[in-house]
Amino acid sequence: MNDAAGAALQTAVEPYNEAVVRKFTIAAVFWAVVAFAVGVYIASELAWPALNFGLPWLNFGRLRPVHTSAAIFAFGGSALLGTSMYVVQRTCKARLFGGDALADFIFWGYQFFIVMAALSYVMGFSKSREYAEPEWHIDLWLALVWVLYAVVFVGTLLKRREPHIYVANWFYLAFILTIAVLHIGNNLGVPVSAYGAKSYSLFSGAQDALIQWWYGHNAVGFFLTAGFLGMMYYFIPKAANRPIYSYRLSVVHFWSLIFLYIWAGPHHLHWTALPDWAQTLGMVFSIMLWMPSWGGMINGLMTLSGAWDKLRTDPGLRFSVTAVGFYGMSTFEGPVMSIRTVNALSHYTDWTIGHVHSGALGWVAFISFGAIYYLVPVLWRRNGLYSVRLCAWHYWISTLGIVLYIVSMWVAGIMEGLMWRAYDANGFLQYSFVESVVAVHPFFVIRMLGGLLFLTGALLMAYNLIMTVRSPRTAPAPERLSAGMVAVAAGG
Amino acid sequence: MRIETSDVVIGVMVVMLGLLGLTAAAHAHDDEMYVFGLALAGFAGAFVIGQIRRHYDRAEAARRALRAEGTAP
Amino acid sequence: MFLRQDFIERHAILLLVLTLATVAVGGIVEIVPLFTIETTVEPVKGVRPYSPLELMGRDIYVREGCYLCHSQQVRALRDEVERYGHYSLAAESMYDHPFQWGSKRIGPDLARVGGKYSNDWHYAHLENPQAMVPESLMPHYAFLQQNALVYDDIAAHLRANRAVGVPYTDADITNARADLEAQADAQADTAGLLKRYPKAVSVAGAPGRVTEMDALVAYLQVLGTMVNFADTSEEQLRQ
Repeated sequence: MNDAAGAALQTAVEPYNEAVVRKFTIAAVFWAVVAFAVGVYIASELAWPALNFGLPWLNFGRLRPVHTSAAIFAFGGSALLGTSMYVVQRTCKARLFGGDALADFIFWGYQFFIVMAALSYVMGFSKSREYAEPEWHIDLWLALVWVLYAVVFVGTLLKRREPHIYVANWFYLAFILTIAVLHIGNNLGVPVSAYGAKSYSLFSGAQDALIQWWYGHNAVGFFLTAGFLGMMYYFIPKAANRPIYSYRLSVVHFWSLIFLYIWAGPHHLHWTALPDWAQTLGMVFSIMLWMPSWGGMINGLMTLSGAWDKLRTDPGLRFSVTAVGFYGMSTFEGPVMSIRTVNALSHYTDWTIGHVHSGALGWVAFISFGAIYYLVPVLWRRNGLYSVRLCAWHYWISTLGIVLYIVSMWVAGIMEGLMWRAYDANGFLQYSFVESVVAVHPFFVIRMLGGLLFLTGALLMAYNLIMTVRSPRTAPAPERLSAGMVAVAAGG
Repeated sequence: MRIETSDVVIGVMVVMLGLLGLTAAAHAHDDEMYVFGLALAGFAGAFVIGQIRRHYDRAEAARRALRAEGTAP
Repeated sequence: MFLRQDFIERHAILLLVLTLATVAVGGIVEIVPLFTIETTVEPVKGVRPYSPLELMGRDIYVREGCYLCHSQQVRALRDEVERYGHYSLAAESMYDHPFQWGSKRIGPDLARVGGKYSNDWHYAHLENPQAMVPESLMPHYAFLQQNALVYDDIAAHLRANRAVGVPYTDADITNARADLEAQADAQADTAGLLKRYPKAVSVAGAPGRVTEMDALVAYLQVLGTMVNFADTSEEQLRQ
């Protein structure tokens, strides 16, 4: 058998299913651009309300769920599903369980969920549960796709050819399982008709609020944290070419994080009609959560010991490491905001929005960018990135964008909080509500500019990655180029 | 080339879901259910066609590999 | 021995079971008592299910994502009570499926907006918010006045609410359509409506045509008005 034939057979029986990872990678980049673009648009609507144009489907109220779902589920989700399928195969030395058809169904089924959800919001169908807005029929569809995804992941773990399950997979597993439980628990409801989209939540009032924030906070804890920590535990050691700093720390990190996170939901409901005991529990556990979060941050950062010089030459790794820094910052800010007295000021203001975005842009997006910059040359068998300089530009533009975003939201949020509670010399409330709206306008403009910079960075990334795949500059050296690899590249 | 079990299982499942989509669209009480049902049927059709295409792509790749092996010096 | 990490991470199913058990604890401890402890939602006089028109208005409120900019929860803080009114009680949202407490105030809280403004003000404001409040960031909702309200399945909406625990009676369901039309007609006889749904506010509505805006205004006008705080002693209201 000659080389070409051997390689061709290899294509027919690739050791790992990388086609599905390639598809998720493309989807992640595409949805990143969409999510950021919608974000910039709705930020502009808040700065200049005329941009709503009085059109139902363009109004802020219908577009905001499009932005949050596109960012969390479309961009973040595609990055998570793709990397988890990549990592689980590599670290288990096993091809995905369930065959290529199942993996394909998970990819297309998940994309179908995203498109249908976005379409339903603009058409005016929403359950009004934050980060779980799709109506019951779309929820059922996602439940099906998600359960099959869990089957593939756990099935691959079971057929692994390695004695141990690698730490990244613990986090991915916790993410997959918990999101399944949260999704099903939070979305229980009764449809008005089997053939109508409208449904009413099974729970009401205070109980409904707690269940929503049990879901909402743990969508942050397990989707946006545990899942992306899985990414951190694989791609940072890989890119830095160093083992994880401390195995013991990762064990403690994992169990304490997943135990504590679940309790933190009630901190979204301080001073409300939720019973005090629940609020207090939520606050105490949120503060305790600081410790495992920083344990994880230290584990990620210290993995670079002896490899810090790589940050100068590898902007992809720079994204990952900065992400861990932002993770540390957000997970300190979060516990502070969960303290009841701080929350009395910060809640309902733009401080919360700033906090969310330091996590979403600084941690989630940056750790994904790091993984994507690492993955694309590997998945498409290229020699490296098309342009390291462009990647560095992406890094600095995005970082500047985040700084503008979170600083403007801090200022706006604290100002709102202080204005709402300000009293004049006679003991009357000093400001009407609308005065606070006027006061934050400049910061809404700055926030929009920050978002615009972040979007620009993502467009640079998209261009850079397309050129990485296409340009002859990054093609592997001819002697290493075999028929199989061409087939792989073309079939991607 | 033989047909893989996973292709059959997933294919049948998707076809059933597509039929469910058509039913939902036919009885729909509102625009959302109508659009969702039709889109689901469209998704099912496209997915199954994709499966068939991938099956023949794989078969062709395998045949090409065998032919290359046969003509090798 | 089974709980040593070295053992756990070699057994995928054990890892799965322990992970599920670990994440289950917090949720169970916090959520289950909310349903079993009676003081979670202390009954308060005056709280009633939404009238059919208010319910439809609420659906529009949900659909348009109003909760993204307006909270419905006056927190137990001095400045909020002075700005918006009595702090919100759990019972006031006991028939809210789903709750609308919100998480961000781009606009003011609406938990007690009912009765603060006239119907006419609400119509004009929804049509063009900047005409009433020039600095407002609110989008225009003039299209709600163009859209006829779809309520042929109003009884099914009430039944679905009953299935999740809202105490609509058979009479409420039978009269749902008539009640809805009566509330959206300034000339109609509202005796039956007001008996079933005290304090329901009649809205303008052209005869024979109920718009989505009529429903939304009816909903906004009942928000926070069900409980009469004047004749309820502090003690009864305390959480």
